[in-house]
Amino acid sequence: MKELRDLARTLLADGAVKVVIGYEEGPRGVRPAFITRPEHAERLIFDARCTHCLPAYLSPRRTHVAALGKPAVVVKGCDARAVAGLIREAQLAREDVVVIGVRCGGVTGDPTVAELASGTVAPRCDACDAREPKLADHVVGPALPAPPASDQPDMLARLEGMSAAERWEFWQEAFSRCVRCNACRQACPMCFCERCVADKTQPAWIESSPHGRGNLAWHLTRAIHQAGRCVACGECQRACPADIPLGLLNKKLAHVVAERFGYRAGDDPAVPAPVGAFRLDDAQEFIR
Amino acid sequence: MTGARTITHDNLAALVADLAAAGTRVTAPARGADGKVDYRPIASLAEAALGAELPRRSLKEFFLPASEPLFSWRQEGAKVDLRAVPTEFPPHLVLGARPCDAAAVEILDHVMGWDYRDELWFGRRAATTIATLACPGVDGSCFCTATGRGPESTKGSDLMLYPIDGGYLVEVVTPKGDALVTAHAARFISASDASRPVSPDPGPRTPDPASLPMPAIAEWLARNFEHELWRDIALRCHGCGACASVCPTCHCFDIVDEPEGVTEGTRRRNWDTCQTGLFTLHASGHNPRRDQHARIRQRVTHKFSIYPAKFGEVLCTGCGRCARACPGGMDLPEILGRIAALAGAASGPEAAV
Repeated sequence: MKELRDLARTLLADGAVKVVIGYEEGPRGVRPAFITRPEHAERLIFDARCTHCLPAYLSPRRTHVAALGKPAVVVKGCDARAVAGLIREAQLAREDVVVIGVRCGGVTGDPTVAELASGTVAPRCDACDAREPKLADHVVGPALPAPPASDQPDMLARLEGMSAAERWEFWQEAFSRCVRCNACRQACPMCFCERCVADKTQPAWIESSPHGRGNLAWHLTRAIHQAGRCVACGECQRACPADIPLGLLNKKLAHVVAERFGYRAGDDPAVPAPVGAFRLDDAQEFIR
Repeated sequence: MTGARTITHDNLAALVADLAAAGTRVTAPARGADGKVDYRPIASLAEAALGAELPRRSLKEFFLPASEPLFSWRQEGAKVDLRAVPTEFPPHLVLGARPCDAAAVEILDHVMGWDYRDELWFGRRAATTIATLACPGVDGSCFCTATGRGPESTKGSDLMLYPIDGGYLVEVVTPKGDALVTAHAARFISASDASRPVSPDPGPRTPDPASLPMPAIAEWLARNFEHELWRDIALRCHGCGACASVCPTCHCFDIVDEPEGVTEGTRRRNWDTCQTGLFTLHASGHNPRRDQHARIRQRVTHKFSIYPAKFGEVLCTGCGRCARACPGGMDLPEILGRIAALAGAASGPEAAV
């Protein structure tokens, strides 16, 4: 913790950055912090509750954050993929952000739950190969042991084992709870469009009504737009006030993209995502 | 109004069965397929989870659904046929409402019946009897007492239920509640000598109302449209609107026309939220609330200054759902506490001590 606070204090005192985006203790567990004065660096913490993907605050649509000036952002190794994604898709220049990587021992997926156990560990921490951040200007914190494996049921395997009719029923029930608050989109580090297709009204490609047709159109569009781009931070699902398991859709599409294109959204911004690349030797004939 | 009565669990189950058989819709907190509690239609008391955790969403959707048709149209040549939607509804009992959710419905009556009487809202209000269960408490994000409510607040309720051994003590609050008790008198036992059960320890869920003085907060808000507080607290806000969707009192809606082909369609109203940029985007491209801080300011000011100035009470019942739902860690009681501190500091040297 001292290393993180010292670094933040120095970056702010030297004027290298105007804000350090990190984690602090809030009224309900850990929450994002925006430290603009060196003397406030003491508020910064990092522990297993720090599940939030802070690079979401780097996207240019966060005008109120951008107004503060050059940011430093605290990232876990997995979050660095979102920084890479924003750079890859020309939303952020590498030199416009200072990336503070923290060595991670896994997170609980709930900012109010501190204890890492098989029942609390975020499923995305399983087999994590990014506990040591690579895309970072500074790496801080002690190396931590791997977290316990999640004992939560593998919902994706369960869904894949279902018939198409059963899967349809599963998603119909889940989407029936959606009220189209847009929390999934707003919390997502990779949903940075200045104008989302779902907000277009002439024509309204996606009906804004939270009825079966509107909800299906929205969730399928969101999922497809995330294929090969989603960094698996889980923020869409955590943000959803209706607890819709949106991460399952992202995970399935990530598998499909890995299988078809040999691509996984990683932390190297120089590797183009399939959706943003044109290659004469593309494996898919239709695009040549 | 008749006095207090009691009802046994068995009789309450029989009452639910009687009502369901007679065509009354019964809604109660109940667990769904995903294991979470929402207010849901029940066919028998066994399906209800009375006094379990706070339902995920509030009661407002039973009066202002997340999406509802206002009318539909069909065009044939030059003739346009408009089809209205019904504004009368079958009888409905909400059993086991939370006091914060029941109060919210009555608070919303002001705006729904102000310059225009919303027939759909009041149609559902007239059809619905709300039987509220005294609150067993949730967690430290509750702040009902600061909004003038409390775990035993009867505002918005037609009947109040207090758990006792083997059943509930039933307090009649309104003539509508009295009518239900009278119509099913055999299910109730007169309890003129029954004393109300001792309230459970309110604990941290009910802050001292003096810590969040609503008049001082309203007064500060009216004077501080431009204040650094807004930019400061808005930083972590994603503008996601999860707060508004779970809020029992947020009631803004959008109206959309949804065509079916060329000659038919439906006009609907859908929940909307002031937390998005689209909410205030003008056709010209100008947006009077360009940044998130302006949207947060709107939410807080509407609830704690504009609404009380217009209708005499705050647009919040302290349920704490917004704080629990927020992925960015925004916390309304904390924001109100900061405003109260600023208001105190501004009101004189004694208050600042």
